[in-house]
Amino acid sequence: MTEVRLVEVTKRFGEVVAVDHVSVTIKHGEFFTFLGPSGCGKTTTLRIIAGLEFPDEGSVFFDEEDVTMKRAYERKAAMVFQNYALWPHMSVFDNVAYGLKLKKLPPEEIKKKVEWALELVGLKGMEDRYPTQLSGGQQQRVALARAIVVEPRVLLLDEPLSNLDAKLRLKMREELKTLQMKLGITAIYVTHDQEEAMSLSDRIAVMNAGKIMQVGTPKEVYESPRNLFVATFIGKSTAVMGKADEIAGDRATITTPDGFKLRGRVAVGYKLSRGEEAVAIIRPEDFELEPPRVDHNVIEGVIEISMFLGPYNRLKVRTGKQVISAYVDPDISFKQGDRVKLYIPVDDVILFPAKGWEYIAYEAVA
Amino acid sequence: MSEYKGGKSHKIKKKSSLSRRLRFTLDPFTITMIIIPVLLFTLFLVIPLGYVLISPALVAVQAGYSPISAVTSSDIIGTNLLVDPITVTTGQKIGLFPGMKYTLPSDGYILANGQRINLVKGTVIEWEDGTPYAVFPNGTRIELPQDLRSVTIPYRSPFTGEEAALITIHGIKFEGALLNSLIVAATVTAIAVILGLLVGFVFARYNFYGKTFFRILAIIPLLMVPFANAIVVRRLFAQDGPISYFVNAVLGLPYLIDVTGIAGVVLTQVITFFPIVYLNVFSSMMLIDPTLEEQAENLGARGFKLFRTVTLPLSLPGLLSGAAIVFIFSLEDLGGPIVFQEHNLLSYKIFEKISNAIKGGASAEAGLLAIPDAAIYSAIILAIALTVFVSIKKYLSLRQYAMMTKGGRWTPRARMLGLKGHLIVYLLLLPFLLFAAAPQIGVLILGFSHRWVGPSPEGFPTAENFAKIATDPALYKGVINSLVYSFSAVLIIILLGFTAAYVVARVKLPGIGVLDVLATSPLAIPGIAIATGYFLMFSQPFLRGTPLYIYVNPAVALVISYAVRRSPFTTRAIYAGLLQTHPTYEEAAMNLGASKSRTLFTILLPLIGISVLSGALISFVYSMSETSTSITIGLANEDQRPLVAVMYDQFTKVEAYQIVGAMGVILIAIQLTSIVIITMVLKQRYAFIGV
Repeated sequence: MTEVRLVEVTKRFGEVVAVDHVSVTIKHGEFFTFLGPSGCGKTTTLRIIAGLEFPDEGSVFFDEEDVTMKRAYERKAAMVFQNYALWPHMSVFDNVAYGLKLKKLPPEEIKKKVEWALELVGLKGMEDRYPTQLSGGQQQRVALARAIVVEPRVLLLDEPLSNLDAKLRLKMREELKTLQMKLGITAIYVTHDQEEAMSLSDRIAVMNAGKIMQVGTPKEVYESPRNLFVATFIGKSTAVMGKADEIAGDRATITTPDGFKLRGRVAVGYKLSRGEEAVAIIRPEDFELEPPRVDHNVIEGVIEISMFLGPYNRLKVRTGKQVISAYVDPDISFKQGDRVKLYIPVDDVILFPAKGWEYIAYEAVA
Repeated sequence: MSEYKGGKSHKIKKKSSLSRRLRFTLDPFTITMIIIPVLLFTLFLVIPLGYVLISPALVAVQAGYSPISAVTSSDIIGTNLLVDPITVTTGQKIGLFPGMKYTLPSDGYILANGQRINLVKGTVIEWEDGTPYAVFPNGTRIELPQDLRSVTIPYRSPFTGEEAALITIHGIKFEGALLNSLIVAATVTAIAVILGLLVGFVFARYNFYGKTFFRILAIIPLLMVPFANAIVVRRLFAQDGPISYFVNAVLGLPYLIDVTGIAGVVLTQVITFFPIVYLNVFSSMMLIDPTLEEQAENLGARGFKLFRTVTLPLSLPGLLSGAAIVFIFSLEDLGGPIVFQEHNLLSYKIFEKISNAIKGGASAEAGLLAIPDAAIYSAIILAIALTVFVSIKKYLSLRQYAMMTKGGRWTPRARMLGLKGHLIVYLLLLPFLLFAAAPQIGVLILGFSHRWVGPSPEGFPTAENFAKIATDPALYKGVINSLVYSFSAVLIIILLGFTAAYVVARVKLPGIGVLDVLATSPLAIPGIAIATGYFLMFSQPFLRGTPLYIYVNPAVALVISYAVRRSPFTTRAIYAGLLQTHPTYEEAAMNLGASKSRTLFTILLPLIGISVLSGALISFVYSMSETSTSITIGLANEDQRPLVAVMYDQFTKVEAYQIVGAMGVILIAIQLTSIVIITMVLKQRYAFIGV
């Protein structure tokens, strides 16, 4: 088991800063995920940890050892590639045995270990097949077996599930988690799929434009986003603009242009001052249809679209100039043009200063 | 070990990223991979060519004569026409001295006041009291005009015996060899571009019945048969050759046609080189996104306007690289000038001087002083070729090549031809392609004939030439030597090509582009300049007694020259293979602890072995037929002559054309076998010369 530490790691490709002063510590035996949109620098970060790239600045540590300028073959960090990179000229056995042969282990031991690894990933009996004779899911498992069989210090996974179909992806996701817990290995995972990240990880680093936006447990990044990017990138959210007026400790109230008052908590690390433009971030599932008798946190509007999605109804509600998205009880039916009152509990409203909102806005998932 | 213990006090040393890049990238393996090609190219390409380029200055210093005078002398740039471009011979005039007595050796005539008086063979012309008389063999005696000074023996067809006019096409030939070389190269390039563009366009944009056959036919001229192809062209266009026979005996026209000298050189080069343009243009056109042309059509561009404004500009990379290569190939061609005995070309003058120096054996004057003029001429040819190469190098680069050969991303825009189109294709394109393939077809006939001096070959088919090659040591030694040289060259080529391609494809460092240029440049560097450079380097007296000494051991210099000249084929094939092999295959191995060299042998080589093999095979084939260095430095030692040098010898010394033909057949057989192996067994693309 190994602790991986990145210190101020920076990587440039020409003018583009792919990784921008990233510092993070990945603990022993942790399942850690770099999550972010494509081009955010997460794969480059992983390749720097693997030793396939070097950082222009900063350092990488495996435990106390500085491996920054160590090459891939000196690191014992096995990687599972997005395209699996199974060698087409070798059988499944030879693919998995490759790393063991490099260690010059005796043949019987290699055989034993390969069998152990293949059994672990559920591919016993496939030793003699060639990669082209395997399905995508099977190739994925061989790639995994090839990486774990060498007992690496760190297991690196670069979007390993992205080439699988949806159903298989869910299954492999569970297997991967079980396997990692069973082996107790430090695993670093890269994905753009937040659901994957949430379900697999002990902790997540949300990245954007080469920078880490927040590091935390799935619950932390979901419930206490540290900035607008995380708030809008993680999970579904709807944003309501307004002006801050009452401010008391970490609570504040904003007034929307349509005159609604929204009370909520100010995001950790931020301050609002009276009269400042602010954004209220609300998860769609936090809207309630039956408001208590209060004079705030109730929004009224006209339904533009109502969609039945099984566990809930998805409503698009126009309130003056803004449109909000809410998931509500599917048993109550609405039609277009109905007026509706929605309530949001104070704890479920997170308030951010609006500065920087224009940039984030178009990426918001609502 | 680092002292980092976490916390904010840790200081990060900011190192310049270039030094980190160098430290991370340059492990011993990568350094070796860079050093091998750089060292080989420096030793065997940059230094010899540099030597050639500076030799005019060295001549001035060492030999004490002005290189300017060597360049500006009239036999280099003189503008006097040496011969009429076309001459028409109707007969030969025999001068007569009054008072003497003549007997006509054959039928002839004299003109008197515009009237023609025919005199048969055996007629006696004599003077009596100052008046000429003709006495016919039957005794008839007639008076001839007083001012009789000559009798004309008309030119007669060797086929029919009838009088005929001999039309000799010499081409424009000046006193200056440089002038001639440039005119020939420019003419050949211009014609090859027009023909190549037409053929390439038809093949890329139209479908018609029998297209596959046409395309195979169009590739035949690319089979390299040095000397033999020119011999066949010369025979075809000799005054007693098949073309004259057709015109005179079949069509019954009173003309004989003889193409000779510069015109013959141009003709041979055009049919040999136009497919280079055609294949490049074709590849370029197949790469054009069809929607670009469709869009132009939607905007109203049609027919020639569409071609001129869209298709032509987009196929310019192929056209330019093809044209440049043809220009350089024409400039350095030796086969044409030797067979047509056209010695007023720069390439021939260099060849003549170096081969004389080599045949003369080692003398006190070695190196530059043995061939000062040839070195200066070579510097000129090299400077011209380098200028051309530099101006189009981006189209010749490995990257461009890999892009051009990828193709197939979309269905090409080919239209089925109508009846009229089919007529044009069959009546114009087919005869042209057959004509272009004639030299190679002719070589097959020549090689299997007893001899071929008149309009048609004699004793066809016979295997006697091959039997002679198999039994005469002077002949079969050439075949064996060439096989050994080419095989040895290929071993060097694989090392050179693999390291160069690997570095350009995989090592990310500033300045790697230089290696791409170096690795591609032999395509455009005249062989005659390399021959000059190697002579300058390897004839130095201090090498006496070593295997490098060119007077005794031309074999070593030959092998190196083949390796350098023919390496681009392998380098390109391997580079294309590397681009098709995702780097994650190598990264996955390194992640598991495999060193770079281990990765190379266990992962990379098995994956791209086929590319290496097919590239090596192409290099082998073109090493077998390499001409310029083979006949310049290859003549030094009789026992070490390569096949092409033996062909040259057979042509010039004993005029055994049919043996040259049979050797050409051997070369064709090797090339065809390779094409079949590469395309059918290895399923790779056969990269023709210059493509």
